[in-house]
Amino acid sequence: MNDAIKTQISAFVDGELPQNEAELLLRRLCQDVELRNQAAEYLAMGRAMRGERAIVGVSMLRERVAAALDDKELQEEFAESEVAAPRFMRPLAGVAIAATVALVALIGLQQMSDVPDVETVQGGEAAAGVTDDSYTVPEPEYDPLSDYYNSHDASSAHIGFDSITPRLITYEIRDGRLVEMELTDVPAENDEQDDENEETSSADTL
Amino acid sequence: MKTRRRQLIATVFVALGGIVAATPCLAADEIGPDDWLVKMASAVQTTNYEGTVIRLQNGKSDTLKVVHVVTDGVIHEKVVVQEGDGLEIIRNGNEVQCILPDKQTVRVEEWNDQSTLFSSLPSTDIQFGNEYDVSIVREERIAGRKAVLLAIRPHDEYRYGHRIWLDIATGFPLQTKLMRDDGEAIEQVKFADITLDKEIHASALAPSTSIENFRWFTQPQRKINHAVDSPWNSAELPSGFAVKSTHEEDLPGRDVPVIHILYSDGLANVSVFIEPANDKKFARRSRAGASNSYSVENDGYQVTAVGEVPAETVEKIAISMQPN
Repeated sequence: MNDAIKTQISAFVDGELPQNEAELLLRRLCQDVELRNQAAEYLAMGRAMRGERAIVGVSMLRERVAAALDDKELQEEFAESEVAAPRFMRPLAGVAIAATVALVALIGLQQMSDVPDVETVQGGEAAAGVTDDSYTVPEPEYDPLSDYYNSHDASSAHIGFDSITPRLITYEIRDGRLVEMELTDVPAENDEQDDENEETSSADTL
Repeated sequence: MKTRRRQLIATVFVALGGIVAATPCLAADEIGPDDWLVKMASAVQTTNYEGTVIRLQNGKSDTLKVVHVVTDGVIHEKVVVQEGDGLEIIRNGNEVQCILPDKQTVRVEEWNDQSTLFSSLPSTDIQFGNEYDVSIVREERIAGRKAVLLAIRPHDEYRYGHRIWLDIATGFPLQTKLMRDDGEAIEQVKFADITLDKEIHASALAPSTSIENFRWFTQPQRKINHAVDSPWNSAELPSGFAVKSTHEEDLPGRDVPVIHILYSDGLANVSVFIEPANDKKFARRSRAGASNSYSVENDGYQVTAVGEVPAETVEKIAISMQPN
């Protein structure tokens, strides 16, 4: 990526790129992963520098806390926060058209990076715990995959590269809110073929 | 030869790290990529820093304020999420507090490792062989500091690549990218601003508000049993992966311990968990950020591979696991 295109992306993100150039750049963004990453990075830096605090709720974490504490008020608030409008849907009064285009591009980035038609792995419900004066100890949860992810993280942290994902697995920005990161079940297009392969593999060992 | 050299360097990196760190004025082109890794390992382990971190993942971003201090070998950290309700995560040694100020609630966890709270920074024990190439790409400026871009490129599709921007003066990683083989960044962590190795007052590590009267709750501590010999192994591991540990582990909801085998190629790690199959449904494939898992039933056992590697890798390893 040369400096010229970086400058163009920067201008685009800042809402300073003429509309005709913005449209051309959008086409390139749709076709070029590296350009999209660069645009996303500039948008993120812009938000950081502006100190935007536009996200509502800590929904999944709240839900877990509310369940553990049996806090009805907190649970109700959590339920309300579920229907709060995403930040990108908020009115953008006075925003120049190019800036609007930039927001559209960011939404596009999010859509492109999402996995369609995924199902959430059902985790165990956090049970009300045994309470003493200062601590509430939740009953153990049975969420096998989450347990595996956490155990893997704890065991491998001293080897190789330490990914941010396990450490902040609880905290992900999604749809405009800070939520507990879900494990997503990724369906395969060729599960039937996989089954055949696995049967073959098992048969080979018998 | 290259492998032996890297392993030797990694083995003695503590000693060398001190020497390299003591010579911060070297120009980027005066030391090789392996030396930069040594310098980085030392910097990550010893540097105190304070700054703003931007994390990009799946086209989404979040911003964190981070303070990191190491005192007498004990890690003290504070991370404040800049969005939402101002969630704060504070670490003092092994105890980690997750504070929700608006709800006056604190969740306490215990961590028994030395990893940092927030980042994909490399850990201190880096030993990898011929599965990757390391090269210096160019110099750039990150967070207002001169940085050298280091590329770690895998030779096959079974692991991710890394791009690391190291502060030329200290070797500290200012930006990291985890890359797929098609060049797409899976995860990126970048300092927007950073202060390195300046005195950080203790108040910077304290909660922003008094938590004295907050409600606290704890997570049960994870129990790990002793190392064991396991009959399970894989005859088709991707090249470079080897067993690092095998132990039994008590996990919630299980009547019997789970066998946990940890594989590593020196950079990428994969855990394989084996437990008797039961009526609980496992997702065959799942992912969380850059991590993937694949679960398969084999000979009456549920075998699940989890790691920060492509989905194909965990699938290959899980399917190939067999009892002797």
